[in-house]
Amino acid sequence: MVKITYIAADGTDTTVETQVGNNVMHTALSNNVAGIVGECGGAMMCATCHCYVDEAWADKVGAQIDGEEDMLECAAADIRPTSRLSCQIKITPELDGLVVHLPESQE
Amino acid sequence: MALAPVNTEIGMVQLTHDPYPIYRKMRTQTPVVRVEQIKRTFVTKAAMTRMIKDTPEVFSSNDPNTPMEPAFQAHTLMRKDGLEHRRERMAMQLSFSPKVIKQNWAQLYRDITQDYISRLPRGETVDLYKDICGPVSARILVHILGLDGATDDQMLRWSQHLIDGAGNFGWDPELFKISDRANDEMNAHFDGLIAHHIATPNSSAFSVMLNAQNPIPQSQIYANLKIAIGGGINEPRDAMATILYGLLTNPDQLDEVRRQDAWGQAFEEGVRWVAPIQASSRLVLEDTEIGGYDVPKGETVMTIQASANRDEDLYENSEEFMVFRDQNPHQAFGSGPHLCAGSHIARRTVGEIMIPALFDRFPDMSLADPSKVNWRGFGFRGPINLPVTLR
Repeated sequence: MVKITYIAADGTDTTVETQVGNNVMHTALSNNVAGIVGECGGAMMCATCHCYVDEAWADKVGAQIDGEEDMLECAAADIRPTSRLSCQIKITPELDGLVVHLPESQE
Repeated sequence: MALAPVNTEIGMVQLTHDPYPIYRKMRTQTPVVRVEQIKRTFVTKAAMTRMIKDTPEVFSSNDPNTPMEPAFQAHTLMRKDGLEHRRERMAMQLSFSPKVIKQNWAQLYRDITQDYISRLPRGETVDLYKDICGPVSARILVHILGLDGATDDQMLRWSQHLIDGAGNFGWDPELFKISDRANDEMNAHFDGLIAHHIATPNSSAFSVMLNAQNPIPQSQIYANLKIAIGGGINEPRDAMATILYGLLTNPDQLDEVRRQDAWGQAFEEGVRWVAPIQASSRLVLEDTEIGGYDVPKGETVMTIQASANRDEDLYENSEEFMVFRDQNPHQAFGSGPHLCAGSHIARRTVGEIMIPALFDRFPDMSLADPSKVNWRGFGFRGPINLPVTLR
């Protein structure tokens, strides 16, 4: 199992456990973490699972994939260099302890 | 495993009149059922409809056997999968995004709404469905899409003719003649606007698509605009009429919505209760299984989101309009890659602007006679009249 911490815009943090192979969006939904909506189910067709990867984890998580940048332009909140669609962050053993920050709004 | 049971009794007439008692029974007794008269397998439980929408590799939108292609004179993004669908959708998505709505459009939407509402006669009974829900939706869409010069009547008529054509499962040639004429008019109107949008780029969908670095073909730009016309008027109109009906027939909830400024929740509950788009179809690409039944390759399944939205597994008193629910994970906008592209616009315009503005101007408005409100529709559903006394 791998631990992931979600920090909401108001500072509240929630840490949950998930399995390798899952993604950061689904993990949030299946653990009722507020602040991630994931309307399109992970098809990269909406921007409602937007998150900011914690600076300390940015390199390990890696860059936006092809097409993700265009979709992020449609996000409700500001985009930063660490912005990712959380459905596109696949959980690997190296991401144990990952911290992501959630935007104020997804819709 | 076995094939799904077959229902030979249910047809368009009953479904168009009132599908909800039928779906309630299906959810309990036959959640996966082949409906012989519609020639489709109906799926009525929320977990199943979501699974189908979220699994496009097995349940494809690319169904060549629908009247959509003749109605729109194009193979549209609604009926495509994968990268092709993504490219055409992304070509206009930015125009529908929360940021663009807030920055470029919100004030305009408010002004349009005020303009139409200010013309309503206080003290009289008017049909808000006809006088407000449809025309305001049409006017706002002219601006979002960049269809300068189109009248409300033209927009409403084009939208209706496209939808009638797309729903022409009886393949009546007369209906296609009507949608052909609408296509001719739309094409001519679009042709006349290209130079303007290229000369003065703006954030309308037409302009964004034309001025893209790597634009999609003009035929698909036109098809996208028509999809937006077909999907961008009737749905907000029906959502608005439904929400108004729900609030006006539940004055206690209306008071509480006002007190908490909970218009957003009222919007979500309205579209859950009677989803403007009630059902969608997907073509089964390989032999598969849904809810314990074999579903063979080549079958067309209908996800009934109208029913998923009243699934007892997710909602208490699911048949009731209840704004203040603990959770409301409805599928009125669908899910998966074909998730409604206009959901943000609908939430902003109908939920945050149009409905509060109406109650602000006419705080004591009331339904003249709730029993006189008629509801209709199987694929698309909502009230078809809303006589309200304005006070």
